[in-house]
Amino acid sequence: MARHIMLAVRRIIPDGPDTNRLVLQDPDGWPLPKWKPGAHLDLQVPGIGPRAYSLCGDPATQESWEIAVRCEVNSRGGSSWVHDVLRQGDVVAVTMPRCTFPIAAEASRHVMIAGGIGVTPFLAMAHEFERRGVAWTLHLLARGGPPCGLALAGLAQSGRIRTHDTARQARPRWDELLDGGPTVGLHAYCCGPQAMLDGFAEATRDWPRGTTSIEHFVPPPLPAAEGAMQYTLRRSVTGAEMEVEAGGSMLKALRMLGAQVDASCEGGICGACEVRWLEGEPIHRDRVLSPERRRTHLLACVAQCASDRLVVEA
Amino acid sequence: MTETLASPIDVEAGASHRSTWTGTVAHLHVTARAFLPMRSQESVELVAGCGIVGDRYMLGIEQGFYSEKPEEGRQVTLFESEVLEAIGRDYKMELLPEEHRRNITTTGVPLNWLVGKRFRIGSCLVEATRLSIPCRHIEEILQKQVFDAMVHRSGLNCRILVGGTVRLGDEIRPE
Repeated sequence: MARHIMLAVRRIIPDGPDTNRLVLQDPDGWPLPKWKPGAHLDLQVPGIGPRAYSLCGDPATQESWEIAVRCEVNSRGGSSWVHDVLRQGDVVAVTMPRCTFPIAAEASRHVMIAGGIGVTPFLAMAHEFERRGVAWTLHLLARGGPPCGLALAGLAQSGRIRTHDTARQARPRWDELLDGGPTVGLHAYCCGPQAMLDGFAEATRDWPRGTTSIEHFVPPPLPAAEGAMQYTLRRSVTGAEMEVEAGGSMLKALRMLGAQVDASCEGGICGACEVRWLEGEPIHRDRVLSPERRRTHLLACVAQCASDRLVVEA
Repeated sequence: MTETLASPIDVEAGASHRSTWTGTVAHLHVTARAFLPMRSQESVELVAGCGIVGDRYMLGIEQGFYSEKPEEGRQVTLFESEVLEAIGRDYKMELLPEEHRRNITTTGVPLNWLVGKRFRIGSCLVEATRLSIPCRHIEEILQKQVFDAMVHRSGLNCRILVGGTVRLGDEIRPE
């Protein structure tokens, strides 16, 4: 199961419509581990389970971590718990940050397009871009007042933030948002509701591979697992084995074998259930692992297998 | 020709208390919890049978300080500065003294030879219980792929027999 870090909610800052920004610190004031811009953590909601939130503070600050939570009308319980139950001084359980939405280190210019509360990972990235002295633009599309306006104010002097109130003005065209791309050195990012992500994917369909990045709120439909077959799943640590049917959940199988594997989204976008694989031929269906990472790791919640045996380090 | 592998300790037959090594304390670090960054110290206080004041390995008496897996034989941990250099050379990776997550970084001490032996760190006396083994947890904390680089050279776990203050530059020598 997940190793949880206990952190104190030091401040709750109302920051935009229906949005609270939480400042989390170690209860004894020790500095916290470093993390990468674009990372998220799982907040353990009592009686409900883990809920993923992007870190939105300055990654250079180790005294605290910040997340922002918008109270959703159709909340599955996480955001309403944060807004209605959680109070300053409470202690919460979170996981270590995981970065599944990294900065493209090789790019010289970065365009970030956010829908509503999808701005959160870009706040952290913007701090990092400023520190590196690279060119960046953040487009924030929101109906009415933007979420995290106070946090954005700290970056306003950069002159690189464009807010678009889609309740008052027409939604900008994609070619306007994408800064004339694709061009050499430009990387585009998008985080927001599914319709926005679909629009972004369509608008950048012909961009060179590796010049765009998407962060999902909720897991998208899984791609087909062509070639998936029944296989013997083996834990390298204990030697325990079991048969897994084609289409079956490797995550559930590992847990049935006694492995303690974290999970959060269970849809291949958060990375919580990443495990190292040692033998076999996994079929990857996640949205976050790089081709290089897939050579050694898989996400157990969505992976299938194209060989009759798979050995994982668990 | 047959060569005999000589331990850095007691290499001369019949000289059971002679040794070929002495080392020094190069860095000192503690952390309150298993996931938190290590903090550099000028000195640390070793408590016999317990651990280091303020460290997560301290057993029993420090409320709020903990390790995920308390262990009687792991009251203080050591790591060779020479291994940091070797990892840089072999893996082209910088691993800093505050990143290996052991308490005492040593110079000139053959840690892998010392399991089961007693030795002095300044005025303190410790007994080596087992070699440390790396944990994937460290990769999660550091966000560096250091696990493979640390296999078989991940330091030493010790029990504290005689406590006291350990300072940077203190001598480390066999008992």
